[in-house]
Amino acid sequence: MEKKSVFKKIAAMSLAAVMLLAVAGCGGGEKKKEADGGNTAKIGLVTATTGGAAAYGLAIKKGSELAVEEINAKSKTKLALLIEDEKGVKNEAINAMNKLIHKDNVLVVSGPMLSGTMFAAGPIAQQAGVPALGTSTTAEGITDIGNFIFRNAVPESIAIPAAVEKAHKILGFKKVAIMYSNNNDMQVSVFNTYKQVFAKLGTEVVAIETFADKDTDYSAQLTKIQQLNPDILAVAALYQEGSLILKKARDMGMKMPVIGNNGFNSPEFMKLAGLAAEGAIVGSPWFPEKQDEKVQNFRKAFKAKYQHEPDQFSAQAYDGIYLLHAAIEKAGTVSDRKKVRDSLASIKDFSGVTGKFAFDDKRNPKMDINVLIVKGGKFVELK
Amino acid sequence: MDILNPYYLQIVTFILINAILGISIYITLSTGQMSLGNAGFMSLGAYASAILTMKLGLPLAFGIFTGGVLAALVALLIGLPTTRLQGLYLAIATLGFGEVIRVVALNLEITNGALGISGIPSLSITLGKVFNSTGLAEALSLDFQVAGQLGLVVLLLLILICVLTFQLLLEKSRIGRAFAAIKEDEHAAEVMGVNVVYYKMLSFIIGAFVAGLAGALYAHSTFFINPTDFSYHKVVDILLYAVFGGSNVIWGPVLGAFILTLLPEVLRFMADYRAMLYGALLVIMMVFRPNGILSRELAAKIRTFLCFGKKSPGGDRQ
Repeated sequence: MEKKSVFKKIAAMSLAAVMLLAVAGCGGGEKKKEADGGNTAKIGLVTATTGGAAAYGLAIKKGSELAVEEINAKSKTKLALLIEDEKGVKNEAINAMNKLIHKDNVLVVSGPMLSGTMFAAGPIAQQAGVPALGTSTTAEGITDIGNFIFRNAVPESIAIPAAVEKAHKILGFKKVAIMYSNNNDMQVSVFNTYKQVFAKLGTEVVAIETFADKDTDYSAQLTKIQQLNPDILAVAALYQEGSLILKKARDMGMKMPVIGNNGFNSPEFMKLAGLAAEGAIVGSPWFPEKQDEKVQNFRKAFKAKYQHEPDQFSAQAYDGIYLLHAAIEKAGTVSDRKKVRDSLASIKDFSGVTGKFAFDDKRNPKMDINVLIVKGGKFVELK
Repeated sequence: MDILNPYYLQIVTFILINAILGISIYITLSTGQMSLGNAGFMSLGAYASAILTMKLGLPLAFGIFTGGVLAALVALLIGLPTTRLQGLYLAIATLGFGEVIRVVALNLEITNGALGISGIPSLSITLGKVFNSTGLAEALSLDFQVAGQLGLVVLLLLILICVLTFQLLLEKSRIGRAFAAIKEDEHAAEVMGVNVVYYKMLSFIIGAFVAGLAGALYAHSTFFINPTDFSYHKVVDILLYAVFGGSNVIWGPVLGAFILTLLPEVLRFMADYRAMLYGALLVIMMVFRPNGILSRELAAKIRTFLCFGKKSPGGDRQ
């Protein structure tokens, strides 16, 4: 017994030693690489490649990688993309951000991907003076973190009013029921926007029903809503929940149009909801059917590389990398973070796959919103 | 000087906070109670301190301390019914308590629901300012951020040492022996005249206080909290520190927190495979050391080794 436990101890100690060596080893290796900067700008990407939010994180990773590949093939200023997993968890995002900035010495960061992880890791980029561009952080107050925090994700506070107002003009609804996920920070923020915009339009809110992310049964909420018979249903959910809600609603014979947020604007949503998606309305800068060379080329290139259609997250991440690249080229430096920040802030007439783009003075995007409706299994413009 | 990289300092910060959390569950475990409510107590401390310092503008030190006290007070309330439960039943009841706290935080106005509280006053920035104003940062030629981070690490280390010393002294006292007696056999302890309910409550409340303290420190070192931070996953993490490191000696949870916090960062080079390797390592360790890395015998041996063969006092019983 004695000997055996000594043996195990040695095993444990050697494991610990190996781990320490690994830390030391990583530290040593990075230092050498920093010397050969030249014309390559290091871009860090903080996104969830594992964990619950990985479906979105991987879409972002794919879009970013495609953009880097294209840029490196044709531009003089090359990009090196360093990807760190944030798992959609706060601690991980903080560590990932710190690693990219302080160990890998990146010039700029794309991400973190969730509003929650941005709130936690954004201040680190701000403190270190590293520009961070959120490509999918849509919650209120993200850029209030500081002047180094940007986003090209259209905040829901812009996309939702655009969608609701246009739908109101065309469909002229009077009574609305709202459903939202109350344990998801993003969806709560969307719900607040819904409330404001419906109040502004004078639409009567007949019911407010909540659910939680990963719920699968919505019959209780929908039964209540059905009895109140609203003209339109407004939903704040990610695509999994959104598609299940629509399916159930259509099963129960509710035929009214449904306004959703950017979770609806995903190929996955169409796949999961199927026929039930008919009549779903969403406001988004990403419109895959747009007759625009850039959009169609992006779709083609994406499909060739990954064998499936890009979604909004990929498109915004793709544009995000191009934006950062444009800022770096304009600043003419691959090491001066402050200069890159200033040139990023001054971007005015950028045009990407999500349309024309500029930052407003609070580093939020100013861009056109397409209001789309599902007809015949496809998104078309709501007219 | 590479050790002063903010990335490493950040990891050390998390290790220290997690070590305090590990000790919080160790304290309740030292009376044989498996309480899974620590994430709940942690969130109480975190929210209390964040709200007090942000909305009322109270000093950080006060907020953090109040966070711990509030957690202890709530522990007093819910401890009365729950510490009468044993084993799995206690685990389930306290787990439920943690979820209740989380859902309450999710629905209250003052906690800002699922959106969470952002822009929490940061300990490292406050400490950095202190360093700057005293001229200490300049004397050591540290920049503002590093000085603040380093200050935070030192502060957390001091708190960890305080908590450790407290618990070590406790273990040698009458209370500590009562804890140990209850852990070995509750009924035997009762027959010997140990007031079982009293001591179980005591360990439950101390554990909650430490967890609340750690939660408040967590809030002030990460700028942002939301209810998801204190979910079931956090409970498992905390429990793992104690179980993995060894739940019979106080150094166990500290070691567990150290390894389990460092490991994901060390494994970053593995990219998407790191969760897999992390899991595999956990399984391997549990197979080889089912009672955690540090057992009593091992701790006693290390102690003898460190004291050059001096006879180690107590704690090395089987």
